[in-house]
Amino acid sequence: MSQQQQAPAPPYRPYRQVRAATPHSRAVSCVRFSPCGRLLATASLDGTVALLSPSSLAAIATLRGHADGVSDISWSTDSFYLCSASDDRTLRIWDVRPVLAGLNPGSGGGGGGAQPADPNADRCIRVLKGHTNFVFSANFNPQTNSTVASGGFDCTVRIWDVKSGRCVRAIDAHSEPVTSVHFIRDGSIIVSGSHDGTCKIWDAGTGSCLKTVIDEKKPAVSFSMFSPNGKFILVAALDDTLKLCNFASGKFLKMYSGHVNRKYCLQSAFSVTNGKYIVSGSEDNCVYIWDLQGKNILQKLEGHTDTVISVSCHPTENKIASGGLDNDRTVRLWLQDG
Amino acid sequence: MNVPIVDPLQGDFPETIEEFLQYGSMKCIAFNRRGTLLAAGCANGTCVIWDFETRGIARELHDKDCTAPITSVAWSKYGHHLLASATDKSLTLWHVVNEKKIARITLQQTPLSVRLHPGGPSTPSICLACPLSSAPILVDLNTGSTTVLPAFLSDNGNLPAPNTRNKFSDGSPPFTPTAATFDKYGDLIYVGNSKGEILIIDSKSIKVHAVIPIPGGTVVKDIVFSRDGRYLLTNSNDRVIRVYDNLLPVKGSGEEIEKISSNNISYESHYEKLKANGASCLAISCELLDAIAKIPWKAPCFSGDSEWIVGASASKGEHRLCIWNRSGRLVKILEGPKEALIDIAWHPVDPTIVSVSVAGLAYIWAKEHVENWSAFAPDFVELEENEEYVEREDEFDLNAYVEKAEEQLVNEDEYVDIETYDKNSTFSDLDDSSSTTMELIYLAAIPIPDTPDEQPDKCLGSSSKLEDSNHSDSPSSLDAVQNGQAIPPASSPMEVDNSTAEEPAEAVNSKRRRRLSAKGLELQQAEKGKKPTTKNKSNGKSPGSNGKQLEPANGNSSAVDDEATEDDEI
Repeated sequence: MSQQQQAPAPPYRPYRQVRAATPHSRAVSCVRFSPCGRLLATASLDGTVALLSPSSLAAIATLRGHADGVSDISWSTDSFYLCSASDDRTLRIWDVRPVLAGLNPGSGGGGGGAQPADPNADRCIRVLKGHTNFVFSANFNPQTNSTVASGGFDCTVRIWDVKSGRCVRAIDAHSEPVTSVHFIRDGSIIVSGSHDGTCKIWDAGTGSCLKTVIDEKKPAVSFSMFSPNGKFILVAALDDTLKLCNFASGKFLKMYSGHVNRKYCLQSAFSVTNGKYIVSGSEDNCVYIWDLQGKNILQKLEGHTDTVISVSCHPTENKIASGGLDNDRTVRLWLQDG
Repeated sequence: MNVPIVDPLQGDFPETIEEFLQYGSMKCIAFNRRGTLLAAGCANGTCVIWDFETRGIARELHDKDCTAPITSVAWSKYGHHLLASATDKSLTLWHVVNEKKIARITLQQTPLSVRLHPGGPSTPSICLACPLSSAPILVDLNTGSTTVLPAFLSDNGNLPAPNTRNKFSDGSPPFTPTAATFDKYGDLIYVGNSKGEILIIDSKSIKVHAVIPIPGGTVVKDIVFSRDGRYLLTNSNDRVIRVYDNLLPVKGSGEEIEKISSNNISYESHYEKLKANGASCLAISCELLDAIAKIPWKAPCFSGDSEWIVGASASKGEHRLCIWNRSGRLVKILEGPKEALIDIAWHPVDPTIVSVSVAGLAYIWAKEHVENWSAFAPDFVELEENEEYVEREDEFDLNAYVEKAEEQLVNEDEYVDIETYDKNSTFSDLDDSSSTTMELIYLAAIPIPDTPDEQPDKCLGSSSKLEDSNHSDSPSSLDAVQNGQAIPPASSPMEVDNSTAEEPAEAVNSKRRRRLSAKGLELQQAEKGKKPTTKNKSNGKSPGSNGKQLEPANGNSSAVDDEATEDDEI
């Protein structure tokens, strides 16, 4: 592939913290903006999922039902449903439509707008049972909301039929806990990362292994996800590295370093609303932002008082949310100046 | 998306029954354009739409007026509508997402098959219906008006009754059976008649442009185009399936045939001219038949990529599919349960066939799953033949690894585009028009809330509708279920998946078995042997993992015990 002629990226404008909130009583494990951008969902080891305003971080609803900590959450593409993965060995599907309907359209992001009558109503409509150990990650099929993929400490990747709650496929994917699962944009394949040091690609329809992208015994693969166009995968390993890989050829194209990642499975994100950035939390209590092409660190966001376990980028605004572990327990909102 | 890493050497036609679908008594099936949804018409007048990805029911289209058995279902081009024909002579057009009946028309004859016009507006208005014992008719779903197509040419080449509307009110005698289909874009209609001729008719002017006599000269029972419009097949009463190359351009076929007709001027009769036109439109490619048993065929069709032709045996009590390649070589015979087969459909994209038995079940045939072992290691390559390996002198020096690691990142300055999507070339023929109409690919799944006592294994089949159906058909239903249960052992030895073992109650809605190859078993045993030695575990996502570190160990012990049990069973 020849070098493409590209317009120079817009000059970097720094992010600054605009909000902090503590919606949970224990560590935050995951933060996710909804695809429609009107909600921010956060999950915690206290077993709850909180729905926050993406502008004010005000708590709009709390989803209760899990018997143990929640490790991951995933939105359906239409933002109507939320899937949570928990240490109680189940996944739950939550119906968020009443919350969305309760947001006052006139108030923009919903801050200060009318709230649903009962923020603590039971919105769980489906419990997916079958994992034999902690469920560690979950991802909705982005092409449709009819299936969810999950990975857990039982070393399996499972695919669930959302409508009936049936486990459609149970793949003995790895020999160690599965740390992440992610669908490609058309829902045809899944990438999974594991503590066994491998990163594999699976056919979502047949459950067969299509490719092993990383096959090292050490270090563990802590996170993996597809790029927005589905051509690359971003892989994090417990050796302080983030790598961008062309999974068809198996070649590593970019490596991002400078952060600290030795212990926890930090969740990273692509930022595409302004320039093209890679965003990740770090065990030195900061959020790191790299230039996608140049691989240089553009900014280090300080403010958290414990490991930043998860970051999420707003789908349309230059906004980043981050969550911290037990000594911090905050969800912080970072806005790009401009 | 999968194309770069899918093994190109694998064959692409089905080999075994993967599972079956059950909902009342299904009579006919049709895939939508993308193969993500499967519509089935049932004996009680209901149309069921299956989500073919999850093999669950996505929609049930039912109305108090629609109670007669359905004879045919057809999707609109963009998948938003479904047309059903029934034995009460009715045509019903459904809106799939809204589950609403849009139009209902009663014909004078029972339609055996229907097709919606491939072009036209977003809400389809024109359809082609083939009645039981009459000429095919074009129906305007908005007005209910019908246009009878010419099915024969008289001996002197004139049409018996051109362009007659509502012909039967004249008291004219009905014709014998015909088959008809639109071509790729609906410009032309191809009609197969009982004299063994193919007529090519302009769908707007209803003018016969060409005629192609079929060798054998017997009744044409089926006439089917391939999905890309380049091939046509006919199934005749002489028990031969004939495959033709379509010599007209797929797009603009109407104009081209007008041109051909204008150029052919010096013929002694109109019939001879039409035959000459026909010779420029279709060329026979091959004939498919059972040379020994001479069995009759039913519901033949092409594979989605037009590479294969499948025909079903029309013999009673036989569920048998034959697959040929396009040069006429028989490549596969699929044997199923001892139930007559009434309809089949080949998936538009996958090597998957769905066949409907007279018992009302739909069987899904798919390729036998073969593990691609080279996918499990990045540098692993399967060799077709032995090669002599020449070792490099420094191959096992430590420095080599350092160089290899550096080599991996040599292209780090390459520009990486993470946003541009690839066009889906399989469906590129929609691109010129899809900017105005969004195709319906999936039906949004609305999760069914758990019952109060949280039984996730509750079967959809427990609905009262299905119970009524089972009650009325209990003897055949029981036989069907038994046969269904018996299929996997008869077809091939199979192992029960973990998911099946963990969810034993899963029964009625669908069944799934998958064969483990010998290598798979060996690998599983190897993995079982390997797992107990694994001791170190990295930390999880949170400080709580310190506490959790104990439980995973327990989980491991439990897993080891389970594996021991599995060993005993094996």
